[in-house]
Amino acid sequence: MRALVGLGLTLALAVPSSGQTPAASSTAGERDRALEKAAADAAAGRRSVAAQELREAALRFHSVTALLQLARLEAGQKEGARALATLRQALALAPNSEDLLSAYAQVALASGAPVRAIPALESLTRIWADVADHHYLLGVALMQAGDMTAAVDALAEAERLEPNRVLTLVALGLAFNKRKLYAEAKPYLVRSLEREPESVEAVAALAESEEGLGELDEARAHALRAVARSPDQPTANLVLGMVLMKEERFAEARDALEKAAAADPTSAKAHYQLSLAYARLGDEARSRREVELYQKALREVEERLQELRGQAGSAPAAPRP
Amino acid sequence: MKAALSGLLAALAAAAALAQPVARLLFRDVTREAGITFQHHAAPEKKYIVESMSGGVALFDFDNDGLPDIYFVDSLTVETARDPQAARSALYHNLGHGRFEDVTDKAGIGHPGWGMGVCTADVDGDGWEDLYVTGLGGNHLYRNNHDGTFGDVTGRAGLAGGGWSTGCGFADYDRDGKPDLFVSRYVKIDLEHLPEFGKGKTCEYRGIAVQCGPRGLPGEGDLLYHNEGNGHFTEVGARAGVSDPRGYFGLGVAWFDANEDGWPDLYVANDSTPSFLYLNQKDGTFKESAFPMGVAVSEDGAEQGGMGVAVGDYDNSGRFSLFKTNFSEEYNDLYHNDGDHFTDVSFRSKTAPSSLPYVGWGTAFLDYDDDGLLDIIAVNGHVYPQLDKARLGASAPYRQRRLLYHNRGDGTFDEVSAEFGPVLTEERVSRGLAVGDLDNDGRLDVVVNDLDGGAQVLHNELEGAGHWLLVKLKGKGGNTDALGAVVTVRAGGRRLMRLVRSGTGYLSQDDMRAHFGLGAAAQADSIEVRWPDGTSSRMDEVRADRLLEIDQPR
Repeated sequence: MRALVGLGLTLALAVPSSGQTPAASSTAGERDRALEKAAADAAAGRRSVAAQELREAALRFHSVTALLQLARLEAGQKEGARALATLRQALALAPNSEDLLSAYAQVALASGAPVRAIPALESLTRIWADVADHHYLLGVALMQAGDMTAAVDALAEAERLEPNRVLTLVALGLAFNKRKLYAEAKPYLVRSLEREPESVEAVAALAESEEGLGELDEARAHALRAVARSPDQPTANLVLGMVLMKEERFAEARDALEKAAAADPTSAKAHYQLSLAYARLGDEARSRREVELYQKALREVEERLQELRGQAGSAPAAPRP
Repeated sequence: MKAALSGLLAALAAAAALAQPVARLLFRDVTREAGITFQHHAAPEKKYIVESMSGGVALFDFDNDGLPDIYFVDSLTVETARDPQAARSALYHNLGHGRFEDVTDKAGIGHPGWGMGVCTADVDGDGWEDLYVTGLGGNHLYRNNHDGTFGDVTGRAGLAGGGWSTGCGFADYDRDGKPDLFVSRYVKIDLEHLPEFGKGKTCEYRGIAVQCGPRGLPGEGDLLYHNEGNGHFTEVGARAGVSDPRGYFGLGVAWFDANEDGWPDLYVANDSTPSFLYLNQKDGTFKESAFPMGVAVSEDGAEQGGMGVAVGDYDNSGRFSLFKTNFSEEYNDLYHNDGDHFTDVSFRSKTAPSSLPYVGWGTAFLDYDDDGLLDIIAVNGHVYPQLDKARLGASAPYRQRRLLYHNRGDGTFDEVSAEFGPVLTEERVSRGLAVGDLDNDGRLDVVVNDLDGGAQVLHNELEGAGHWLLVKLKGKGGNTDALGAVVTVRAGGRRLMRLVRSGTGYLSQDDMRAHFGLGAAAQADSIEVRWPDGTSSRMDEVRADRLLEIDQPR
């Protein structure tokens, strides 16, 4: 899912900002020169110099563009919190700027703070309701925040506005899979693969849908196809393991599930299924160990959701108390 | 012109009416004509979790006249908590011919307090069914006086329990010939210091204020009572290893032999926490094995809101599988018994997807069309009335329809409630469900206790149902119900297996008689009973379409 966000982030922050400061023309000239110099310094790798220049320009000219470029620089250096602070300053000057709201949402998403992104994206989808990308990003943010139901609504709107965009189709498939609505997920994933057959993520997600629908042969074939291209793909290995568990091929299932758990140690599902595989093989000690890892993963997920709910902005839908 | 037009419109209307699918008759709501007027009491807003969880319903023959009677459990509310008379549980005597009579006052079992669940057994081996009612602040054992009245012998029996008891079930876990009792408990609740509605992280749902819990509230351990045979029971939960010291939120209870070793094991559906499967160690103790056996959590490893649990051999494999109802946006689990473990086949069986929007409660395996394959029923209803004012997401609203799954015989089910009209699709707030043959006509009827509104008696009137057998067992010694006995009928090339069980579904009690749909087979090739003490008996070539009583050989 982070990969789905990353592409959008690069594109949106690369978009040059339109002038948004109502400065007099002489001041504008000075401002433009300061921004050009900062851009040149950044391009030459003198990032700290460029950052300082942008801060000074922002202060002197109340320049939204300077702040946006500074945030871009900070985000590029993985300083997500700092970039968000910079963008908040810019939004104080231009609260309805599409570029700023979009940049803020994307930096928040890339920083693992979807709950911060959601209000910005909700504003974007309200003001620019016909821009598919805003709905798509809102869907991704809601998925990250754990609200799959709302995510599906946002992604479906993105799909309506810009049909057959592969990223949206895959995200819809993933969101439906998370809701265990496998019959709904499958057509989106099939369509995404018609357009981009090499997407390992989509093939693995399709395997997950098929496994959920009880189409075990198809699920195995797609999981193997994904694993052939990406041996450590966590979803594909997990699906393969679950298919093998259902076929009572427990040793092979254990091997696939070990790969799934190694590829994604935070997956409670992988650890739980692995605990079952060990139990079927009579290895009680390893089964117990995997139950402990499963419980740890479960706690971490819960803590992460609590943390997300604690973030500023609108809270994702809370599960049952 | 006008006349021609109106004629055309009338013809179109008639055609449209003809095009409407006509629901087939399966269950007919006979509540009113049967004379059932019971209405469960409930606080309108359900501001406290203790106002959302009641109540059970039992089908049992208290007067040994051969017809199952009905007992509905009622509950108090926070507002009426100090007035035990404000709630009235009710016993209805089955008069036959579709009529019932309220005999609660004569029976003396109308006011067990804040009632929750119910289970029955002949606890003293006198051949008459006794009644156990769980609740908040104390449970009750009502001993059958053989004259239409019951005596409250709770104190003498040592079965008061205390705290917030929910599910219950009798079984002879140590095979000493006397039925013992397991009681699940939910959360610790103090009516003087209730968690404040909507205050705190565990008191909101989808951004709206709701009742608190169960998460965030302290859980309560469970109880196992050993029947000493002198009218007294001894609590042995901790010694037996079933006391739940971590305080998971216990609800549905199912005694059954999970691993085919001839000894009763115990499954407990826990809410918002992993469920338990206690395997009987044959020495008075149990080993909790739900995780390695694959029945603790969902296929994803998610802790579910376990409510009710049904036990049945739905694929005629000779093993008992489990069906567990859960909270909305989870799914109801169908755990297939593979012998030494279970496999979650909920999605493969196609029972899961249709259950996702609903909060499930009472449930049962039942062969409603007598075709020799166990079908599944589940009743639903949310816990938050406030939900109707909120963004619903993937959940159905407060009132919810029922689910009826028809067994296709290939390991999959079709959800068919819509075929049978409003009696199943009407949205209600249901809790307890009990299944039994109220009129001994071989077709299984359903009785439902709703949290809000009146109870329902649904009479099975399906045309063209198959042949059938109804088997009532009489065990020797103290376990006269033959709790734990397994009845196996061979007919039409099939081997059908049923279990005699106390405590079923969600806090309820099904008719204990074993019902078999035989399809086209007009006789059973054999009927074999494996009695609770390990002995067995057999009958051959038994004519179908009748009620059969089998006594355990002396």
